[in-house]
Amino acid sequence: MKLLSAVLLGLAAAAAVAATFLPLSELLIRLTPDQPQTEFVTTGWSTHFGGTKDEHGPLFGIPVAAAAATVLLGIRWRKVAYAGAAALAGVTGMLFVYLLNAISFHKAGNITIDPGLEAGFGNGIWVLISAVVLAFGAVVVHPDD
Amino acid sequence: MIGRPTAVALIVAGVVLTATAMVLPWYSTVYAGNVEVVVRAWGTQVVNKPGDWPAGDLSPWYGLPVALTAVLLVAGIWINRAALAGAAAQLGAVGITAVLLISERGHAVEQQGDFAIGYGLVFLVAGTLTALAGALAVQREPA
Repeated sequence: MKLLSAVLLGLAAAAAVAATFLPLSELLIRLTPDQPQTEFVTTGWSTHFGGTKDEHGPLFGIPVAAAAATVLLGIRWRKVAYAGAAALAGVTGMLFVYLLNAISFHKAGNITIDPGLEAGFGNGIWVLISAVVLAFGAVVVHPDD
Repeated sequence: MIGRPTAVALIVAGVVLTATAMVLPWYSTVYAGNVEVVVRAWGTQVVNKPGDWPAGDLSPWYGLPVALTAVLLVAGIWINRAALAGAAAQLGAVGITAVLLISERGHAVEQQGDFAIGYGLVFLVAGTLTALAGALAVQREPA
């Protein structure tokens, strides 16, 4: 069980870090009717609007990486694994709410200009949620109490 | 060690501070023409809203994850595990708020806005750290 929990915690941390490099939200929007659609992609480390990088894009990767590090440290202590999993869940929950708000905001604001608009979550958020599930699973089988 | 009553008192203080944070402004920016954008736990308020301001609310539910972690903290008064989960999750949520804050500040300064941190965010950080201290202390005491 010790090995299983260690493997699961390792996988959870790796998945969480990998998720920061994947798109968290993807928007395909037209700002004026005659313009082509622009892709608006947010990852844990950058926000791109077409070819332009947002200099002040939020670095969601930092709290995710910190929680992932705690999860990894949890291989040694069950309570640390538990706290790390909870921290990762908190990070994911707040990020999910932010993304959901941002996606619906852009949808509501641009749908009249561009009926062909596409706005939704990227794969990163689903990988991140999976990491939370893996981390809690690892805590359950963690033998050290 | 500080003892169970003190640890529980810290958790309670953390919950009270967090609850206060839910009704106070988190951060705000004043732009030209006295347009002020105030971000709170339950929505963004635009004071002196210009006509061309985009419709919709960018942050209606920041309070939701924090409300859930606060409930876990309250449960943590009786269940040690819940206190640790609540405090750790709230710290994670505050982490996301912190990077958003830095990002928003960057955007505000770029557009010559006057950015300010509100009492709500100060209370949220203080409440989270206080609750975390209590939750960690309570883990060391026999249940």
